[in-house]
Amino acid sequence: MKQRSIQFLLQTGTLLLLLSWVHLFVLQQHNGEMQNIVFWEFQVPRLVSAVFAGAGLSLSGLLMQNLFQNPMAGPYVLGVNSGASLFISLLILGAAPTFLIELSYVSAAMIGAFLAAGFMFLVSKRVQNIQSLLVIGLMFASFTGAIESVLQSFAAPEQVKQLFIWNMGSLQQMSAAQAPWMASFVVFGIVTTLFLVKGLNAMVLGDTHALQLGIKVKQLKMFVLFITALLAGSITAFCGPIAFVGLAIPNLARALLKTQDHLLLILFSVLAGSCFLLAIDLLVLLLDPWLSIPVNVLTAVIGAPYVAYLMLRQR
Amino acid sequence: MISFQNAQVGYQTTLIELAPLALPAGQIYALIGRNGSGKSTLLHSLIGQLPLRSGSITLGAYSLDELQKNAALRSRQVSFVASMFAGLDALTLRAYVSLGRVPHLGAFGRLQAADLQIVDEVLQALNLSSLAYQDTRKLSDGERQLASLARAMVQDTPIMVLDEPASFLDYFNRELLLDQLQNWVQQKPARTAVFSSHDIDLCLQKGIPMLVLHQRRLTLLMKPTKAEVMALL
Repeated sequence: MKQRSIQFLLQTGTLLLLLSWVHLFVLQQHNGEMQNIVFWEFQVPRLVSAVFAGAGLSLSGLLMQNLFQNPMAGPYVLGVNSGASLFISLLILGAAPTFLIELSYVSAAMIGAFLAAGFMFLVSKRVQNIQSLLVIGLMFASFTGAIESVLQSFAAPEQVKQLFIWNMGSLQQMSAAQAPWMASFVVFGIVTTLFLVKGLNAMVLGDTHALQLGIKVKQLKMFVLFITALLAGSITAFCGPIAFVGLAIPNLARALLKTQDHLLLILFSVLAGSCFLLAIDLLVLLLDPWLSIPVNVLTAVIGAPYVAYLMLRQR
Repeated sequence: MISFQNAQVGYQTTLIELAPLALPAGQIYALIGRNGSGKSTLLHSLIGQLPLRSGSITLGAYSLDELQKNAALRSRQVSFVASMFAGLDALTLRAYVSLGRVPHLGAFGRLQAADLQIVDEVLQALNLSSLAYQDTRKLSDGERQLASLARAMVQDTPIMVLDEPASFLDYFNRELLLDQLQNWVQQKPARTAVFSSHDIDLCLQKGIPMLVLHQRRLTLLMKPTKAEVMALL
């Protein structure tokens, strides 16, 4: 059992290294000359953003599934991205001309993500089944979308264009200066989560039993909510909304590893999330001469049917 | 041992008033009462998840008040079994039962060899060893409920509280569950278990002491007869 899980982890890790190498190689071919400057200014940030966005999104999905005690939860379907997105739009379309200070961008997205996650968490206590919750998540997303549209009608064309591009989701808009920031947010999220493993394991039995096993449930949930918002918010700020990674990868982890031990689930989700987004970005790169497809479209093309399949399998 | 000292139990209003009463250790007690009489509410207070409105309850060496303030301490004193566990994808029976060891584990929640030994012994005693690696979703209701009992057993607390543990079980599994619970209580000194039940006949047949909940009061019958119980209900 355990050996098989470790084997899976090693294989996924190897795949990640391999994909990273291919990614760098393909990008280099893509760029042709002037390689040295481009390497640090362009290739590495793009690699970093794929690796850490994939890891962070799938970790935030795993955490949300634990928090909501439901395998169909995720930052995108429950509107956490939308919250981040709304606050980003407020920033881009609002009057502030100095918005380009990177951190304010990110913190706005985090606040938006935290508010959305908190709101959905409160709602989840009132609705009994996940279907209703998903519908509310959808309504929430379309509501924030509507507000964004209203804001756009007041905005200058230049701002609208900027928001439009951001909304497509992209792994190449992150600058070399931003890369360490995003990486450290994600690493912080992963390391903190590793200290929550015992509580997360007990939480799969529900609040009452987790309490009886000595877990400080309220405190743990606040922590999880905070880390989720930190991850989903910062990644959304840097890369735009990227759908379905957070929902699909942890489900894949449980299906493959056949375990509810969150130490293994965290490690696998993080590695597999990186691999997945790297592979998607490779596809974007390879298709680029003929078609320019944004990342968000590709993750949806693959992720949405998989999620639908998971829903159907759930009796 | 469990003792009540004029405790008042309830959410917004007092549902049950408990006169001074002591339940000696080494026994299991059946909590009997009609629907809506407040059995579950009382049990929730007993496991420390619903504060008393007044008075106090002592569980083993600690007062409920102390246990409520200290989650880690409580988890080593009181275990809990609900009436139903629906099972979970990717959670094997052995992994489920092992979660009962959580209060005894270090910061990262790793099971040590000694923990696994305790788990495997309990699985063996409950005849669940052959199902150890089955997915909990694929077990029968009876198997899952026995697994929940096993989970509470490996938690190794002096007090165990069970909320209608046998309500979804057939006759044979009910009997098995009660027998196993009785064994558990007698294995170590100072163990006490309280379970709610509607199965008065089986409890009478097994000579289990009863706590009858009626008209907001609790009466202890150490050697109940059917007539006595019925008169109270």
